[in-house]
Amino acid sequence: MKVSKIKFNEEASRRIYEDYLKRVARSIKSLPKKDQNEVLLEFNSHIYEGLQHNDKVNEIDRLLDVLERLGSPEKTLKPLVADKKLEQATRTFNPLHVVKALALNVGNGISYIIFFMLYLMLFGFIFLIYSEITDPKSTGLFFNGNDFQALGKINPEYLIESTTHEILGNWFIPAMLLSIIVFYFLITILLRVKRKVRSL
Amino acid sequence: MNKTFVEKWKSQVKKGTLTFIALNVLKDNELYGYEFIEKIKKKTEIEIAEGTFYPLMNRLAKEKLVVANWVEQESGIPRKYYTLTEMGENTLEEMQTYWEDLSQSIKKII
Repeated sequence: MKVSKIKFNEEASRRIYEDYLKRVARSIKSLPKKDQNEVLLEFNSHIYEGLQHNDKVNEIDRLLDVLERLGSPEKTLKPLVADKKLEQATRTFNPLHVVKALALNVGNGISYIIFFMLYLMLFGFIFLIYSEITDPKSTGLFFNGNDFQALGKINPEYLIESTTHEILGNWFIPAMLLSIIVFYFLITILLRVKRKVRSL
Repeated sequence: MNKTFVEKWKSQVKKGTLTFIALNVLKDNELYGYEFIEKIKKKTEIEIAEGTFYPLMNRLAKEKLVVANWVEQESGIPRKYYTLTEMGENTLEEMQTYWEDLSQSIKKII
């Protein structure tokens, strides 16, 4: 269904209306096309009905009344965009959507901040792959005898003096890649569970 | 009397019962967005902001408690009508039972 524009008698009303719709469209740009259209249709319908159910004589007064009640699109639409983005992120597993959804939902509770930190840790693994390529001697999974010592970068001089040694060797990059994948799916699945249990 | 405390509490109660209120207003009705908000206001004197209402409807639809249908109008601007699904009706009944029980218990202590 296409959005049919409301017709106005006064040019000033039309301009205010067009400007408002533009702001709505801008606020929902990050959503899938179908959702964008749905929101625009619903706002348009709401504005139209608001105009019809107002007794004021001047068209522009009626328009301003309904827009004022709707509030600024950026603010009014924030919770809806945050919800829809989260739906999309947990459906598609697309990292970009996940990051955006998390950023939008950070204000909605401490758990999203934890998710965000978990996500940051993912980038830690990515950094280690880079580090393994540029500085293979000091990067790795280090054990001292049978005890885990470190995952990451270690001072090479320390390695010479101590009995600490790297255990993964050439398997380091594949292991990090696997960690990234496992971590990523875990976060997204947790996010999905979290969204399901969130009360209405 | 601590006025801000009571005000905060009131808004929490409203927030917590909003789904229940919306489902009740929708019972036996078919309402489009603007009309729905007006009806809630008229029946309960609760002003629900559009920024709260539409995300709420989105969630209720996701939970399959309500369905929405676009209906073409003569004006050329279609309306999106919301109705309760069967699941929505059953859910509402359960909520009503709980509400009755809760208010009975509260009445006993006040």
